[in-house]
Amino acid sequence: MNGVRNQVTGDKAVGNEGQGIRDKGLINRLEATRYLVGRASQALIVAGPGNAKFDLVATGDRPQHFYIWNSLGLAPSIGLGLALAQPEQRVIVLDGDGGTLANPGALVTIARLAPPNLLHIVWDNGQYQLTGGQLTGTATVTDLATMGRGAGFQRVAAVTTMSEFEAGLETWLTKPGPWLVVAKIDDSPAPARPPKDPVWIKLRFMDTVRAK
Amino acid sequence: MTWTDIVFERLRANCLEMVCHVPDSVLAPLIAQAEADSFFTVVPLTREEEGVGVLTGAYLGGRRGLLMMQVSGLGNSVNGLASLAIPYQIPFLMLISQRGELGEFNPAQIAMGRAARPVLDALDIQHFTLRRVEEVAALMDGAIKTAYTARRPAALFLSTEMVGWKREK
Repeated sequence: MNGVRNQVTGDKAVGNEGQGIRDKGLINRLEATRYLVGRASQALIVAGPGNAKFDLVATGDRPQHFYIWNSLGLAPSIGLGLALAQPEQRVIVLDGDGGTLANPGALVTIARLAPPNLLHIVWDNGQYQLTGGQLTGTATVTDLATMGRGAGFQRVAAVTTMSEFEAGLETWLTKPGPWLVVAKIDDSPAPARPPKDPVWIKLRFMDTVRAK
Repeated sequence: MTWTDIVFERLRANCLEMVCHVPDSVLAPLIAQAEADSFFTVVPLTREEEGVGVLTGAYLGGRRGLLMMQVSGLGNSVNGLASLAIPYQIPFLMLISQRGELGEFNPAQIAMGRAARPVLDALDIQHFTLRRVEEVAALMDGAIKTAYTARRPAALFLSTEMVGWKREK
């Protein structure tokens, strides 16, 4: 992990922004999201503001997606409330490193309540990608997996390649959680945008939950 | 009945079962009562805005709840209310322990205490104030009803006239 992180930092820190962090063998968020949706087609998915929700909708808009249009940091908290309210359903949170770092206390609260049906995936590329690629702490000194363990998560995984992600997902979807998964991704831009109607997103999502 | 007994009874009667809180000395008896009662799911938060997220998730999943906090926590929650609860139309009750008004000794409590109602007014979130024990049941029921009718949070302030004020040490 350190090697990858430092490699990422090195590229950004010396100013090779044009080169970015693509082609380093890191996970591509859209590819991983598509794989996840295929493997967990029944799961309820809460997607944080920014590229997590953009790439989720790029895999195909579905009623069991809850897209957050603002509220940096609240995706894991929404996932917690949903997982507690619907203990029979698998709940997946897709957030970025910027989002999870905006509300790290949510890791503490999730670990304390410990819903076994919650999988919290952080797409970590060490940057605020939508606002110009400013670095987050995870590009240099911060390790979200360690933060998760420190917060009390008993199930934590950190992956840097697609094959690790695919292999790990089988475990994360079958072994009781809550799971915190830190997936090191590249900085490919997300191609799609979800509907910009919060009430419609909510009502459609609630209808799906009720029908389950 | 004490005001805490009445509040607790109305929470049960209105099925506000997910109790999110950041502790406050005025709220402590309610937290303890909820923790001792399996009807409630108690979610201790690290920061109040988390509760807006947790209660949104709970509502999506078909459950109702409340956010208990000191008035300073309302300040910590503002963007969650403005960007999540209001545009997505998520109802819940906020039970807010008032500071910064009658009997306050702490200068750092004044500004948020005074700003709380104007902030809620700016967000068009309805708020009511519990001043007498005889009013607690009706205002609890009414605020909860309004929140779920409007599909928007509603706030109830616990005034120091009713609950007393913190003694200076």
